[in-house]
Amino acid sequence: MNNLIISKLQESLGKSKVLSSGTELYCYSYDATPLVSFKPDAVVKAHNEEDIQKTLEFAASEGLPVTTRGSGTGLSGGSIPVDGGIVLLTTAMNRILELDADDLSITVEPGVITTAVHNAVEALDLFYPPDPGSMKVSTIGGNVAENAGGLRGLKYGITGDYVLSLDTYFIDGSKVRYGTKCVKDVAGYNVTKFLVGTEGTIGIFSKIVLKLVPKPKTKKTFLALYDDVIDACRTVSAIISRKVIPSTLELMDNVTINCVEDYAGIGLPRDVDALLLIETDGHPAVVEEDAAVIESACRENHARTLRTAKSLQEAEELFTARRMALSALARSKPTTILEDITVPRPAIPEIMSCIKEMASKYNIRIGTFGHAGDGNMHPTCLTDERDQDEIHRVHEAYQVIFDKAISLGGTISGEHGTGYAKSKYLPAMVGPKAIEVMKKIKATFDPDHRLNPGKIFPREER
Amino acid sequence: MSHKLDPEKISKSFATLDIHDYGDVLQCMRCGLCINACPTYRTDGVETETPRGRVAMIKAVIDGKIPADEEFIEHIYDCLNCQNCQTVCPAGVKAGELVLEARHRIEENRPQPALKKFMLNYAILSQPRLAKFMIPLKLYQKLGLQALIRKYDILKLISEDLKLMEALLPPLPPRPLSEELPEEIPAKGPEKGRVGFFLGCAMNLIFADVSRASIDNISRAGYRVIIPKEVQCCGTPNIAEGERTVYREMARNTIGLFGDKRVDAIVTDCAACGSELKAYREIFSKDSSISEKAKDFSSRVRDISEFLDRAIDNSLPFGPISRKVSFHDPCHLRHSQKLTAPQRNLLKRIPGLDYRELPDEGQCCGSAGIYNITHRERSMKILGAKIDSIDKTGAETIVSSNPGCLMQLMYGTRQWGKSWDVIHISQLVNRSLNSADQKK
Ligand SMILES: Cc1cc2nc3c(=O)[nH]c(=O)nc-3n(C[C@H](O)[C@H](O)[C@H](O)COP(=O)(O)OP(=O)(O)OC[C@H]3O[C@@H](n4cnc5c(N)ncnc54)[C@H](O)[C@@H]3O)c2cc1C
Ligand code: SF4
Ligand code: SF4
Repeated sequence: MNNLIISKLQESLGKSKVLSSGTELYCYSYDATPLVSFKPDAVVKAHNEEDIQKTLEFAASEGLPVTTRGSGTGLSGGSIPVDGGIVLLTTAMNRILELDADDLSITVEPGVITTAVHNAVEALDLFYPPDPGSMKVSTIGGNVAENAGGLRGLKYGITGDYVLSLDTYFIDGSKVRYGTKCVKDVAGYNVTKFLVGTEGTIGIFSKIVLKLVPKPKTKKTFLALYDDVIDACRTVSAIISRKVIPSTLELMDNVTINCVEDYAGIGLPRDVDALLLIETDGHPAVVEEDAAVIESACRENHARTLRTAKSLQEAEELFTARRMALSALARSKPTTILEDITVPRPAIPEIMSCIKEMASKYNIRIGTFGHAGDGNMHPTCLTDERDQDEIHRVHEAYQVIFDKAISLGGTISGEHGTGYAKSKYLPAMVGPKAIEVMKKIKATFDPDHRLNPGKIFPREER
Repeated sequence: MSHKLDPEKISKSFATLDIHDYGDVLQCMRCGLCINACPTYRTDGVETETPRGRVAMIKAVIDGKIPADEEFIEHIYDCLNCQNCQTVCPAGVKAGELVLEARHRIEENRPQPALKKFMLNYAILSQPRLAKFMIPLKLYQKLGLQALIRKYDILKLISEDLKLMEALLPPLPPRPLSEELPEEIPAKGPEKGRVGFFLGCAMNLIFADVSRASIDNISRAGYRVIIPKEVQCCGTPNIAEGERTVYREMARNTIGLFGDKRVDAIVTDCAACGSELKAYREIFSKDSSISEKAKDFSSRVRDISEFLDRAIDNSLPFGPISRKVSFHDPCHLRHSQKLTAPQRNLLKRIPGLDYRELPDEGQCCGSAGIYNITHRERSMKILGAKIDSIDKTGAETIVSSNPGCLMQLMYGTRQWGKSWDVIHISQLVNRSLNSADQKK
């Protein structure tokens, strides 16, 4: 972009809101996705809706692409401007606008950090369950756009289950409010639900109303240790098939445990093959009943030991440790490539066996952790981007794992989205007709492909 | 030497780093979990002011993707070196240290301002020399000009920087503490061991009372205190400014100096000195002529709280102090030395003391060496956030253990019109020990 355009943009928004130096642009060329980097031509730091509006109008007049960005913790390249243009930062729009403790909702700007919502509502004995591993940094806007899940997804669902209403800007600069603060609303198409998970390719959320629930009365947290990861996987389906839905059911394998322990030093056992972190919450009587079922499922599936967290603080430590898993895995090698496959829960042991086999066949190191209760596993390859041969083997191994997941009735992305990184796998996943429908939808909202281009649809498919 | 910056030369020099390597840069997986911990992201809200951004920029310079120009250098110097990022990074990335390595390469390859060279290469080498440069300041305090100027804001007319500098300095002691102290102070009671006391420059020249209390505490805990007079600066100012030649020279001297004294531990009451002395092991890790000695030296270094919490046993009772107290963790203690427990344990052992945790997970106070002078506006924003956190605790006394933090907090307390007092942990412990004595 030439200087003239930049200065026009600065004139319209104010100099301090436009970043355009080479160094600044470089710093908005990446997110948490490995090996993907494209520079924008300018970055706009929006402070309010008017800034969004002006940016969109400016982009329209210059024919520029616009890519929305929250904290840039996305794992599929969603906020990376692959065609350049303007990156629109929402992090400065970070006010909590209203906390309605009587009608159980919270209204926020898109740049509010996820834990800020937790802190605000929990102070009033309310609960906002979605808790992605990145919650201390991720924005609500990013969570809605990715329909982020978390450790409590199994029982409480994911971000989309809590979105009541969205103020959304479209690429032409128009703004629409979909949904209301009402928990029931069937006026017209349910566009609110549709917008959730659109990965910044349909609209830009400027105001978000989230549903809250009462904070559970009690909870009980278990740590189950296994000498064989497959036994841990079997426990998962055993618990579910006994019609108990724990609030959390997370798995970490030996590689992950060791990396996490290296960082957190909270005394996780280094010699086990896998562990399950299980939590059940709610009314005390129900919690006790569920706990009994969980215990028997663990024991029957050869858990070496099963212990309960003695205090809330210990439980919190275990959760924090689990949330760190991905980044902790990055300790041991320079490059970390993670995947996000999801399978029906009875198929977890099988996909796990496949992951183990591929690791040994292709001679690569894989640490696996995940929201096992959701069937959502993150096999994470610890490698070195300088070793081209190994990177090649990693990709081959992942291809086999993807194919396996799909053949088991699963999906290649449970929660990290398609974005840029997964787009080439989408056609095989959903089929040509579904791609056609999605493209029609995209064209309705963004006929020129200027809003977050290069995402979801593989390039040659556009 | 030309007086123009040569980005290409700097970029090339990044091909190798000093004690880290390219693998340490690649280690960052860009998850972003560190960004909200970083004080400069909190104030500026942009990626160039995050740990992730700083590592990315360093990588980009190495990879030849961005030039090592003025702007890059600015972002590298905007870092406070608080190392909060290193505490929170699960991947073990040493973003703060990588920034210091970048500064080292930058400084080796760019023209140096004369004053900076003079300070880092000459003045710092000896404490008497440093003391000399503080004499004018002292005179001016003695004449009561300080109060007058504070009152009438005269300095504002002269220079904002000067005004801040003078406002930051507490009343200076009449002479450096080192001139008053004997080389050795015997243990009070039966001797349990020998402790080398590392008297840091700022403690010696500005906070003499604090170190006097520290030494008294150590000797009351049953240790003979050895205070080498020829001690040089620990090198923190040098490493922060990218200077490593004089740094290594001084570090070698210090290692030798204490090596000769047969001490069980080397204690300091300055968190910055402590963290630097503990880092000698890494800084010399590639130099076989001294690496073993450096390792041995660093392994003996203890922060004052770390030492006292273990050394004071039940035979030395704490007397009551009924106050609401918060501890401000110096970054050099919490993030560089990874110490959070000893200072809290010590405080909680004082009967009647109502300990209140600061709700900011170890945010920097914005002092960071001379950051409050070089980056005044941002430093004051960071300080403002700190004052807000303190306000939430209802504390009457703010305890800390680093001279920079003490000065910054004292300044903030005055500036924001707060009524709490700011003291070093050694002083509070000393008071408590005294009050137990009086009860006997
Ligand atoms: C360590 C780690 C752990 C993680 N754990 C989880 C997890 O447990 N569960 C999970 O689901 N994800 C997880 N993630 C992925 C990621 O954190 C989530 O996708 C998160 O929602 C992204 O939020 P963000 O603010 O960083 O968004 P960004 O990465 O900035 O953006 C993500 C996408 O959202 C779009 N977007 C952002 N703001 C808006 C807006 N206001 N309007 C419209 N579109 C917008 C962007 O264009 C982009 O496509 C994890 C990531 C990391 C690094
Ligand atoms: S420094 Fe650590 S926490 Fe920060 S982005 Fe890199 S890996 Fe993540
Ligand atoms: S050392 Fe402190 S200021 Fe520097 S990048 Fe890390 S957190 Fe930010």
